[in-house]
Amino acid sequence: MINTYTGPPGGAPVAGSVPAVTADGVSKVYGTGDAAVHALRGVGVAFATGAFTAIMGPSGSGKSTLMHCLAGLDTVTSGRIVLGDAEITGMSDRQLTMLRRDRVGFVFQAFNLLPTLTAEQNILLPLELSGHRPDREWFAHVVDVLGLGDRLRHRPNELSGGQQQRVACARAIVARPKVIFADEPTGNLDSRAGAEVLGFLRSSVREMGQTIVMVTHDPVAASYADRVVFLRDGEIVSEIVRPTPESVLDRLKALGA
Amino acid sequence: MLRTTLAGLRARKLRLLLTAVAITLGVGFISGTFVLTDTMDKGVAKTFERSADKVDFAVFVGRDSAEKGVGAETLSRVRAVPGVTDVHGMVRGEAALVGKDGKPVGDIATLGMSVPTGRLLRYNVDKGRPPSSGRETVLDTDLAGREGFTVGDTVSILDDKNRPHRFTVVGLIDFGIDQEASYRGAVGFDPATATAMTGAKTFEEIDVAGGSRAAVDAAAGTSNLVLTGEELAAKMAREAGTDTKVIRTGLLLFGLVAMLVSALVIYNTFTILIAQRMRDMALLRCVGATRRQVFGGVMLESAVVGLAGSLLGLAAGVGLGTGAFAGVRALDDSLTGAGSSSASLTVRTIVVGLVIGVVVTVLSALLPARAATRVAPVAALRSELEPGSGRFRLGAPRAVIAAVLGAAGLGIGVLGSVVMAKGQAAMFVVAFAGGVFFLAVVAVMPALVRPLGRLAGAVPARLGGVPGRLAVANAQRAPRRTATTTIALTIGVGLMSLFAVVAASGKATATHKLEEQFPVDFQIRTQNEDGTVPRALAATLDRRPEFTHIIQMRSHRAQVAGRNADISTVTASALGTIVKPEMKEGTLDAARRPGAAMVDVDTARSLGLEAGETVQVKAARHTAPMRIAGVYAPGAGVDGIVVPEPDFTRYFGVQDPATIYVKTRNGVAATHARRIVEDAASPYVAAKVDSTAEFKESMTKAVDMLLMIFGGLLGLAIVIALFGIANTLTLSVVERTRESALLRALGLTKRQLRRMLSVEALVMAVIGAFTGVVLGVAFGWAATNAMATDSVFSLPYLQVVAFVVLAGLAGTAAAVMPARRAAKTSVVESLAHD
Repeated sequence: MINTYTGPPGGAPVAGSVPAVTADGVSKVYGTGDAAVHALRGVGVAFATGAFTAIMGPSGSGKSTLMHCLAGLDTVTSGRIVLGDAEITGMSDRQLTMLRRDRVGFVFQAFNLLPTLTAEQNILLPLELSGHRPDREWFAHVVDVLGLGDRLRHRPNELSGGQQQRVACARAIVARPKVIFADEPTGNLDSRAGAEVLGFLRSSVREMGQTIVMVTHDPVAASYADRVVFLRDGEIVSEIVRPTPESVLDRLKALGA
Repeated sequence: MLRTTLAGLRARKLRLLLTAVAITLGVGFISGTFVLTDTMDKGVAKTFERSADKVDFAVFVGRDSAEKGVGAETLSRVRAVPGVTDVHGMVRGEAALVGKDGKPVGDIATLGMSVPTGRLLRYNVDKGRPPSSGRETVLDTDLAGREGFTVGDTVSILDDKNRPHRFTVVGLIDFGIDQEASYRGAVGFDPATATAMTGAKTFEEIDVAGGSRAAVDAAAGTSNLVLTGEELAAKMAREAGTDTKVIRTGLLLFGLVAMLVSALVIYNTFTILIAQRMRDMALLRCVGATRRQVFGGVMLESAVVGLAGSLLGLAAGVGLGTGAFAGVRALDDSLTGAGSSSASLTVRTIVVGLVIGVVVTVLSALLPARAATRVAPVAALRSELEPGSGRFRLGAPRAVIAAVLGAAGLGIGVLGSVVMAKGQAAMFVVAFAGGVFFLAVVAVMPALVRPLGRLAGAVPARLGGVPGRLAVANAQRAPRRTATTTIALTIGVGLMSLFAVVAASGKATATHKLEEQFPVDFQIRTQNEDGTVPRALAATLDRRPEFTHIIQMRSHRAQVAGRNADISTVTASALGTIVKPEMKEGTLDAARRPGAAMVDVDTARSLGLEAGETVQVKAARHTAPMRIAGVYAPGAGVDGIVVPEPDFTRYFGVQDPATIYVKTRNGVAATHARRIVEDAASPYVAAKVDSTAEFKESMTKAVDMLLMIFGGLLGLAIVIALFGIANTLTLSVVERTRESALLRALGLTKRQLRRMLSVEALVMAVIGAFTGVVLGVAFGWAATNAMATDSVFSLPYLQVVAFVVLAGLAGTAAAVMPARRAAKTSVVESLAHD
């Protein structure tokens, strides 16, 4: 049986009704025959524009695979994914690259920044790759909000872990992508630095109307989201709207994670 | 997880292969040299054995004898020895074959050799038969082919007085292993005619058939030396062997350069490899491996790589040597012997090849292995920094070493190029200085990587967009690694530029000298040393309006201050106008006064003459005092003792000139002028016309040829260095898997990723080539300065620029494989946290 969630019920904190990215019957199989591993089994889910959604699930539940497929980093075995108005399943590697460049932002857990570039160069990298002129005002605003003003000329090895993640956030948002995908963005941070990063992600949704999809296994991190989607064994099994750390934890317990 | 492990293993196999390639190429070259020269020696020895079978005894002039050869009286004594069935007094002199154009062939006269009949004939008769009368001749097969003669033709050959004689060609002979005969070309006569034609007074060698050692010994007398047939074969093989020795030594020098570059590549590979395996090593230490065990492990690995590479190198060497042997034989079979020879792989070749390969590899891995032992066990638990990265700081010891070496290199260079007397010794000093200074560059290279990288990367960073900028930054991020990688290329390119500059400057200097001191257009002379050109020819040319100067150079033997010396003179009107020797002491005017003379620096030294002194000249008709009024530098078309024309005539009477020089009037077409000169010279068979333009052209060709050979041999060192670039890049790609994945996620296309790596290789190659070119040109300049006082420096711009451009392109080619691997790697897999 396939659970399909086409939109958030209630919808109070959700701005638009058009989903930013949609997965429809997405399956992902590694290997063939007896050795086949079903990482995703017919996942159908939509992520609303202007919403902050967390994907949770135990290890091996397929949450990272789902994110990679949604972001056009990985190909699906079957099903379709629509990002904005474009169906990305079936796109060539070059088309996918262009799509990521223009419409997707990333924040990874680690190795987010290029060691040879300064913080500013790292932030502007996606814009330069796509050949767009950066909007200096917007750039200044993002840098200001993230408190990176005096760190722009530093290289990553001269920055703390929290500062590095904030640079990664700035990079993700400065190009105004359709969706930002965040993969365990606070996994390597202490709780204070983690809270700063999560606070910024949430405010970018509330104040700038950004769409964010975040994979995490931390209930506190998930509680910053508007909605949490739970994955187990490659299927979506549950969701919580307007989560709190306690409600997330309870649901995880109930799911046996 | 499994896939990344497998990928790592695959990467390691490739890496080991790349390391082995450096060794394989170096060892292949060295063992190939041995195989080639051994096979040559073997082939030559075999040929001699065959030919020496025919001779029972050979008589040579003793080493202490004052005679140049074996005298005729010895020949008759040996012939009279009981039991001797045949003797051959071997004659070898000049006998210029006249070609179909009516002029002697080649640049120097062909050899005239005696060719016996019967058992003592040791040459192969390719066609026809040996000559049996004074009207018959045989030609060297190659010479006949070149000049278009064959059996039955009538040819003209000049005797030692340049008088032509007509002969019927009765045979074509392969003079074979005789180096000189194969280089100059040779004609053969029956022994009596050979003596008459060459004017030889003695024999090179007397070959004997029959008789006994004691009897031949007695007949030969004490001033001569008798060898048996086997001893003769051994002697001839030994003499031919010196040629192979020169070839071997020359090739091995280039082999050493290649091995040096290989050593750098291996050192770099192992350094990177150990840096990347820091964690593995630390883990080994954690679970109880001692430092010694870790060290031993790395050493063993290097020995295995060295052995594998050397074995492959030996196989490559046999192939290379055999191929080169076939090539050499096709060019000149006097070096290889005519018989069929299989490749000669001696025990020595195998031992030398393996030992050099393994020792170089193990020594190159020594420093990296020592670094491996310094890994603290806890490093396994820490997340490591990127190996070899970070700003390079020139430490005090390194700075001091670099400063001392640099100062020494510059000091010695100045000594060689400015202070020392010009000549070969000074050039060697400059070469040594270059080596010392190069070591200083090696020491500071890591600090130079940044500025040079900015320079080399200026264009790609600006034009290459984001990938270009990232590539330039990547090339500079691990300065030590980039430094070692590029230095390997610097060696080859540096030597190439050095040779190019010295060659171009040598050419420029020679041309400049000709134009400045001796601007004639044609010269007419004979091929033999004492030959003269009829003065009537000079008179004929003098009447032509197309020429401004007809200059006659005369020369005659005399006694100067009791010693034999040549005295020459040059047409009075030309001295100071066309013939302008550079005076070292005294003036040209003083030397033109009656009773005066000038002498070139070398002759002055060898005869002990000094400017200002007066010496007695004893000439054929006259004994007179002669004042040395000046000393001049050679190179202006005159040499030796030069006296005014009237004095010369007084000493020796009216003489034919040794050489006539012709200066064309401006505006007369060169081809027209040449036709007039040739028409005028055509009645005089021995008078050969050469044009200065052709001389310059042939000199240029010879220099370019030499440069091409050097380039080909140095090419190997450059190829190894390029493998080094590919190697470094491959390892860097493995290291930066995550980073490449991040870039791909952020929107870098596969093509851009590939371009990024190509540009990185380009920047590294240009850094190396640029450094090499700068060093090569600088020390090429110094060497040119050391060459001669009036040497002209010439920078072959195009070549130098081409070196850098070609190195850059080759570097880009070296990046193809690693770049493809990097682009193929899956983004998701690489992003996965391992």
